[in-house]
Amino acid sequence: MLIQSHPVEMPNPALEQAIVEYSLPENSTSAELSLVNIFSEKKRNFSLNSFQQSRIIVRDFVFLSLLLQLFWIIRVIFQPTTQKDSIMKNKITTVLLVLLATFITLGGTTSCKSKKRLAKEAAEAEYKARVAEAVRDLTAILDDETTWTLEEKEHRVQTIKDWNLQNAEVDDLLFQVEKKLARERAQAEQKAEEERRAAEEAAKAKEPKNMLEKNFAGIANAASVTQANRIINETLQMFSSNSVPVLIIISQAGGFNDYDRPTTIENYLNYVKDQKANRNQVYDLKFNDAGKITEVELIKR
Amino acid sequence: MKKTLAILALVMLMAGGAMAQQQEEISFERKQAIDSLALEKVRDLSKYIKIVGSKETAWSEANRVIDRAEELFMSNAEIGVSSVASNKVKYFKVRPYFEHLMRLNYDRVEIEWYNIEYVSDLQRQPDGTYVGVITIFQTFRGYDKEGNLAYKDTTKKDITVYVKRKETQIGGRMVGFWDVMLGDMRVKETANK
Repeated sequence: MLIQSHPVEMPNPALEQAIVEYSLPENSTSAELSLVNIFSEKKRNFSLNSFQQSRIIVRDFVFLSLLLQLFWIIRVIFQPTTQKDSIMKNKITTVLLVLLATFITLGGTTSCKSKKRLAKEAAEAEYKARVAEAVRDLTAILDDETTWTLEEKEHRVQTIKDWNLQNAEVDDLLFQVEKKLARERAQAEQKAEEERRAAEEAAKAKEPKNMLEKNFAGIANAASVTQANRIINETLQMFSSNSVPVLIIISQAGGFNDYDRPTTIENYLNYVKDQKANRNQVYDLKFNDAGKITEVELIKR
Repeated sequence: MKKTLAILALVMLMAGGAMAQQQEEISFERKQAIDSLALEKVRDLSKYIKIVGSKETAWSEANRVIDRAEELFMSNAEIGVSSVASNKVKYFKVRPYFEHLMRLNYDRVEIEWYNIEYVSDLQRQPDGTYVGVITIFQTFRGYDKEGNLAYKDTTKKDITVYVKRKETQIGGRMVGFWDVMLGDMRVKETANK
């Protein structure tokens, strides 16, 4: 029941605001207060809707204003002088209230219909906006006009796919963009793999064993004695001293190592230089706490 | 009784000797490794001779190489030097030989060793040392200031090689190794070719 025939007893902030807004006198009748209350409720509901509903509010506002003017006129004309006049006044008021209730009910129905239509319009507008947004973003991705990372592009495409727009243009763009992103993903993965391998090789090359192998080869193949001596001096920095022992395994037959006469690292590096040959490879290295090599074990190739 | 004890002692001695002999025997693979090691030392020597003989080698480098070359030889080893101009063979200790090589009066010297091979395989001696003989052929070319060939010869030389099992302490542990030492280098033939 939308209409109340007796004064509102419960505190209602919207009603209090409406009384202030419409400058109602303190001795307003219960019917007048009820109308204001109904209108304020409707206004509050409509305020939750979009801007397009404002015309309904304006219509109601005009109607209510006219109605209130009418009440005032009736009250002025039919000043209750007798009991009969008073009864007449109440009857007229009741008729007007019924008319008002009918109008509001019809208005409410119209309002429901309007809500559905507006919702449909809003949905259509939203759909169009999303299609436009999807086309814009997908085209930008296709034309490399975004600053997004590959992950951001993939995320964007997934969002557009989740919208399920069922639009031919969007679907076509999605197909092209997905192909493009798949290519980009493959390239990115290949690049990442290459970078990983390069980093691995760089790390390996920095390992003492590999550095030593590289330097042995560098000394053996040096273009001049000067160049060989430079590499020898660099290599000696890896050792705790120039007299670090070097053992060369000549055989591992029978389960144990046969060695050549032990030498020192300085003599061994010079030996590689003199012979211009790198005949042995690193078998084992020992280090001190400072990370310097303290013993070398080589093995015949 | 005495006779029985004597026979028993003899049997035990022979058995012990045979066991010791068996323990000293090395496998074919290990023997091959030692053979190769000895040949490699001779090839190393050929490179040292070439470096020292070269007039382009700096004096300090030549001396360092002589030190390394000396380490290849036994302490009293001698190296024979011959000439096509004379039938006599002159023998030098290792360092004097290299110093003589450094002082040769040529503007440029070429020395090549080839056909380096065993003429007598390494044989185990009673003291455990393996002894063998490696032969080499050496061509010598001496050029004057004008770049003309002033002298040339080809010499066949025999080098006695000794290989002995030794031990040394490295990093607080005993390490056994095969010590290859070169003995005398004898001139066998010299030809003007």
